[in-house]
Amino acid sequence: MRVVAGRPALLALALLACLVFAACAGHRWAGPLDLVRALAGDPDLGARLLVAWRLPRILAAGLVGALLGLGGAIFQGVFRNPLAEPYLLGSAGGAAIGATIALLVPLGIPSSLALGGLSFAGAWAATLLVLGVAHGARDTAGLLLAGVAVAAMLGAVRSFLMLALSDESVSLQVVLSWTLGGIQTPTWDGLGLLAILVGMALAASLPLARGLDLLGLGADQAAAFGLETGRFLRRAVLVGAFVVAVAVAYGGLVGFVGLIAPHIARWWVGPRHRALLPVSGAIGAGLVLVCDGLARSVLPPAEIPLGLITAAAGGPFFLVLLRRRMRG
Amino acid sequence: MSVLAADNLVVGRDDARTCILDGVSFRAEPGRLVGLIGPNGAGKSTLLRCLAGLAAPEAGTVTLDGRPLAALPAAERGRRIGYLPQSFHPAWDYTVRAVVELGASRAPGAALRVPAALEANGLADLAERPWSRLSGGERARALLAAVLVAEPPVLLADEPGASLDVGHRVDLLRRLTLYARTRTVIVVLHDLERAVRDCDRLVLLDRGRIVLDGTANAVALSPVLDATFGIAFHRVSTRASDVSTLSLRSGSS
Repeated sequence: MRVVAGRPALLALALLACLVFAACAGHRWAGPLDLVRALAGDPDLGARLLVAWRLPRILAAGLVGALLGLGGAIFQGVFRNPLAEPYLLGSAGGAAIGATIALLVPLGIPSSLALGGLSFAGAWAATLLVLGVAHGARDTAGLLLAGVAVAAMLGAVRSFLMLALSDESVSLQVVLSWTLGGIQTPTWDGLGLLAILVGMALAASLPLARGLDLLGLGADQAAAFGLETGRFLRRAVLVGAFVVAVAVAYGGLVGFVGLIAPHIARWWVGPRHRALLPVSGAIGAGLVLVCDGLARSVLPPAEIPLGLITAAAGGPFFLVLLRRRMRG
Repeated sequence: MSVLAADNLVVGRDDARTCILDGVSFRAEPGRLVGLIGPNGAGKSTLLRCLAGLAAPEAGTVTLDGRPLAALPAAERGRRIGYLPQSFHPAWDYTVRAVVELGASRAPGAALRVPAALEANGLADLAERPWSRLSGGERARALLAAVLVAEPPVLLADEPGASLDVGHRVDLLRRLTLYARTRTVIVVLHDLERAVRDCDRLVLLDRGRIVLDGTANAVALSPVLDATFGIAFHRVSTRASDVSTLSLRSGSS
């Protein structure tokens, strides 16, 4: 029990280490002492840039990572499959179509509202589509093939929209770099809104814990233990789509974090979702903080898209898991 | 004291030409262990799933104490009807305690009974062991504890000892027999010898219809049993008026 009791402190410490790494990383590395001086109000230009630009950026990265970790845990619970992930199953792709339309089509409503609303609609529709198609698929391969097919279709639609809708007034480059995944430095107001959305996502996710636990026993046993499975799945997909939509709207298409974070969390705190959901969110935050730090510092002064780094790290992880699962 | 009743249940096959259940009517009351028997494909598991509210019949109704099961909220159904499936494969590597706690989560106050349920099923030392590291017998006991911890007034068990060795199977049936003293228990059984020995009442299903329903002895002695399974049973009785052992003789009747 002492180990269990120490886990939140250990997690907070690890998250703090990731935060410090991300704050130090950049094409100009800062030392921990520079951070302390900057936070204490050092008037030096470098210190002010650190507070004004890097700090909101890394906080946004952490929050987006938390959403990815949370979304991954919800998806794996809904699909009862450790290889389910919003990016691989097309849900993030659905959100990306909504976001692409919001970015490229003048809709006459505030862009942040359009981006959020259409991302949510896209993620929700895509998740329902995969859930419907994968309904008869009882094995991992069936589910993944359904997800890959939906993701491929959505990718084609997104590319078509990008080609058809972009003009001189909207840079294709901007949309393209967004789809590769990356955190933009937000305003403090924007960061506040993101923090509120993450809080809402967590508040909506935690009540799903018992239902997700029961679903893990199998659909029949979950129903036998009194879960209204159809209604619960609709609710869980709605919450999952919300989580994915906010993550995509703020961070573009960032794959594999939603796969890796729940795995580490399950290994650490076990499969019960009451602990798994928040811990997966915290681990997702740590992963994106580190990957975003690497994205800003590996090839100075250029910045590598965040999605490329997470895919490079997550792809092999996914293949190892797939191989292990196929071997049974 | 819950009475579970089925009235004229019909469940069709996918080909829409034949029926899995073809007008099954049935009533079970507390105090007697009811065994559902029949050849493969007779519709036993489908009937049990309909009785548990896990499958919806195309026609007919299932009632619990006179209330249609379909109208009961899922939470109440889960609290009042325990269902022990033929096979159980959790997606995650839950510990024994987690599975029993999830079973307890369906009834208020049942969480307090988790330690007693673990103890009663010989699982106290295995409580923190993950599912993947349990033997077949331990898994069966853990699932039974998860189902019974909520003390449902109705228990439906689908071939609960199918994957167990004879010792564990006998132990499981002994527990179900004890539970049936005060509650409604229906169990699907393939082992006819055990069914005759342990059940108070046997219901014989064949091609979606109930062809025989009576005391275990009456069913065991009926020639309908031989006709349904297509073999001649050799009946061994320890007392003149009582059939306590039923053994099979090879060859068709």
